[in-house]
Amino acid sequence: MVREFKLPDVGEGVAEGELVSWLVAPGDEVSEDQPVAEVETDKALVEVPAPVNGAVRELHYEEGDVIPVGEVFITFDVAGEAAEAAAEPAADEEAEVADEGEPAGDPGATGTETGEVETPDDRVFAPPRVRRMAREEGIDLSTIEGSGPGGRITAADVEAAASGGAVEADAETDESGAAATAEPEPTADASTAESGGAATGTAGGGQQIQARSTSVESADRDRTLAAPATRRLAEEEGVDIDAVPTDEERDGEAFVTPDAVREYAEAQRQAQEADREVIEAGEPVGEAEKGTEFAPGERERREPFRGVRKTIADAMVESKYTAPHVTHHDEVDVTALVEARDRLKSRAEDQGIRLTYMPFIMKAVVAALKEYPEMNAVIDDENEEVVYRDYYNIGVATATDVGLMVPVLEDADRKGLLQLSSEMNELVTKARERSISPGELQGSTFTITNVGGIGGEYATPILNYPESGILAIGEIKRKPRVVTDEDGTESIEPRSVMTLSLSFDHRLIDGAVGAQFTNTVMEYLENPELLLLE
Amino acid sequence: MVVGDVTTGTDVLVVGAGPAGYVAAIRAGQLDLDVTLVEKDAYGGTCLNHGCIPSKALITATDVAHEAGNAEEMGIHADPAVDLAKMVDWKDGVVDQLTGGVEKLCKANGVNLLEGTATFDGENTARISHSGEGQGSESIEFEHAIVATGSRPIEIPGFDYGDEPVLDSKQALALDSVPDSLVVVGAGYIGMELASVFAKLGTDVTVIEMLDGILPGYDDDLKRPVKQRANDIGIEFHFGYTASTWYDHGDGIRVEAEPAEQAATDGGQAEAVEAEALDLDAEKVLVAVGREPVSDTLDLDAVGVETDDRGFIETDSRARTNVDHVFAVGDVAGEPMLAHKGSMEGQVAAEVIAGEPAAIDYQAMPAAIFTDPEIGTVGMTESEAEEAGFETIVGTFPFRASGRALTTGETDGFVKIVADESEGYVLGAQIVGPEASELIAELGLAIELGATVEDVASTVHTHPTLSESVMEAAENALGHAIHTLNR
Repeated sequence: MVREFKLPDVGEGVAEGELVSWLVAPGDEVSEDQPVAEVETDKALVEVPAPVNGAVRELHYEEGDVIPVGEVFITFDVAGEAAEAAAEPAADEEAEVADEGEPAGDPGATGTETGEVETPDDRVFAPPRVRRMAREEGIDLSTIEGSGPGGRITAADVEAAASGGAVEADAETDESGAAATAEPEPTADASTAESGGAATGTAGGGQQIQARSTSVESADRDRTLAAPATRRLAEEEGVDIDAVPTDEERDGEAFVTPDAVREYAEAQRQAQEADREVIEAGEPVGEAEKGTEFAPGERERREPFRGVRKTIADAMVESKYTAPHVTHHDEVDVTALVEARDRLKSRAEDQGIRLTYMPFIMKAVVAALKEYPEMNAVIDDENEEVVYRDYYNIGVATATDVGLMVPVLEDADRKGLLQLSSEMNELVTKARERSISPGELQGSTFTITNVGGIGGEYATPILNYPESGILAIGEIKRKPRVVTDEDGTESIEPRSVMTLSLSFDHRLIDGAVGAQFTNTVMEYLENPELLLLE
Repeated sequence: MVVGDVTTGTDVLVVGAGPAGYVAAIRAGQLDLDVTLVEKDAYGGTCLNHGCIPSKALITATDVAHEAGNAEEMGIHADPAVDLAKMVDWKDGVVDQLTGGVEKLCKANGVNLLEGTATFDGENTARISHSGEGQGSESIEFEHAIVATGSRPIEIPGFDYGDEPVLDSKQALALDSVPDSLVVVGAGYIGMELASVFAKLGTDVTVIEMLDGILPGYDDDLKRPVKQRANDIGIEFHFGYTASTWYDHGDGIRVEAEPAEQAATDGGQAEAVEAEALDLDAEKVLVAVGREPVSDTLDLDAVGVETDDRGFIETDSRARTNVDHVFAVGDVAGEPMLAHKGSMEGQVAAEVIAGEPAAIDYQAMPAAIFTDPEIGTVGMTESEAEEAGFETIVGTFPFRASGRALTTGETDGFVKIVADESEGYVLGAQIVGPEASELIAELGLAIELGATVEDVASTVHTHPTLSESVMEAAENALGHAIHTLNR
């Protein structure tokens, strides 16, 4: 039997993907979940796995083609079944036609209506369009719990089942806009390997998409069971025991073994190493790949405007034309921060972690967000409500060679400097390798973008809409500053100074609040020991 | 390959242009498939040419005459004269308009039309024999085939439709004069509809039925008003008889009927089953004992398609036969033999061929009988719902309590709604009464949408209309009917 396979939605709302490469050829035997193609969405390069065991019958697109989601892009001959010319959708409902009525030939034979005789438990109440949706998604309606009256199945229920979740209120979209600049290896004083930019993140739930990442995902638990020796090992490796992924449980709680700690720590090191290699090799991160050179005599060249670039553009437009932007500028003396980081850097390296300035800035931002919760809030236009969030997920705008992305560090308020550093290094690496999953690009509540890497002092970053604030940080430079000593004597000294550019949504935040928020960030950066209290 | 054949190719070969086949062809055309539709007789199939449409036209026309002649109560005194030949001409005009429309629609949707009889030659080839001497034949190669050959009236031993006084339903609808007397063999929906037509035209109608009541398969409470009305207009019934033979005695024909060998019953409508043989004199005899699939003209073996022991082609929920690239839709694909069921199957088959996620997954298949009064049903009866394990609630509303029904003079019958007690979902409905065939549609939609009786009861219905009766029945199910006593 022939099974047609349609390109699944590889992230919430993704409409199409570009076929980068086929991983199989016609005639190849494949097993279920074996990757068959690499497809680039507007977020990431993903491998699409085979839905069945069988043989590849036909590849419907060529590498480089853009495939709309929902279009058949590969067909399989399903193992053990005769080939057929027509596809059979995956859903497998039973026809509900009962042969009632008397046998034809009997006098008075009449066609009576079908009488589907099933137990009530098997009876599914859903309208025809919802049934069609379920067939399109290959979902058995009897497996869905309806949210409609009396358990009636709605379109939203099917959508939720298709994306692997339950029906929720409007999921927060995650488009962002941030000033786009690339950021090379930091100078002695420059801060981070993260770079400014915009990214978009769309949720992708429940899809059978496997990102290329080989690194271990961080877990995010509040509580972990482990032997004391394991905890010591985690400490020595510089990893947070609560972030170590594990499938093991004891008494219903996650249980981490020494091997899991070593595996996680090694993955972290590899991720950071890869990041470092990229930077040391001087690869032009942040520069989109250029197209072909001009042919001799060619005055213009047209290229498709699509993929990540198009998505970024759309997000920029939505942000700029929805939220009235105001940008507040200031500069902060971070001499003490530079000294603190220098003291801590070698300690961190002993644990295999490259400590950048970004975790300090994140902690300062989180402290300020707690003081000014409107900066961590969003406007729900549809319901005319302001949604305040008591969680702090910080997006870090990152330049990649296909454009800008915003990996998200979840619950930054609950993580230490080293954990923030190691997780961020890992995410940035994955973003640059385009192996980052859609889930790692969504859910930020505030975004930080580093615009200082290439040059310039100040920026007017565009909000990672619908967030209410975005902070652009400039390069840390040595500058002459007027310093007043304890006696009140003024002198000019070389100090380490960083510029701050805070854009905020003026619908929600007034200029005074923006300035106060910036002042709080500055206070923590000027006096990094205050971070110990956070 | 036959010498002289011309071979053409097509994505989809549709055999039969009835409501299943032509819908399949049009839908396939809409989906950018190359479609060839083969029809040996007339576009529109039995439904448009010899079934649903002409019978409804004649039922309507005879009702006009009958009502005009029976409206003294309204102060109308008339003795309508019926010119059956003219009535049939009018009916033929309606049919022509519709069949012409089907042809135009097919062409407009890019369907290639071929006249002839299709037989399969192999897995992917068929031969189309053109009617008419010297017309020859042609071969056609297809990727997919949709068999939509429909059904034909069943013949019973001793009654050959080729004999002049013996009529099938098609011939009965084409008579140009009203017979003085008519024996109808079979009290199913076709027999009952046509018995009413001729009784209202003044024919003495006698119905013989093998079972013990009319309309096998329908609940007694639905049948009762129909049987009563049939008696009122002079139709005579003999239950428990089978027609054995007929002969011409010079002054008409005599139909002989014998008691049915087995005491067949249909669930207990208490009709006295006679034991004596019957001799019934009449001018014509109409045989309406059911229909059988037309699956023996196609050489299905050549393509490998199997049929059941009754000749129906077995299909799955996507109208697919045991051969992956061959589909079957409509009457030939099994009960219930209803035009709208065939049309739906035709759409599904076309969409499946085009790769769409279509399936036959209706929750309820409506059915209507154009007897007097009409019957409309959809979904489960009360007993079917209980058999299926539902705790049921039932709401009814009699048309005699409907203002609009009273104004039409048609107050026999009722609306009955069956629902699930725990959640209130509408599971089925049965209506007997004026416009039952139209009224049932609302309840079909209710079932498909998963509506509850409360939803139906809370939907404002126009006053004064018959449709209010549906709302009232739903209210009755909830125990708060306004215009009838709650049970």
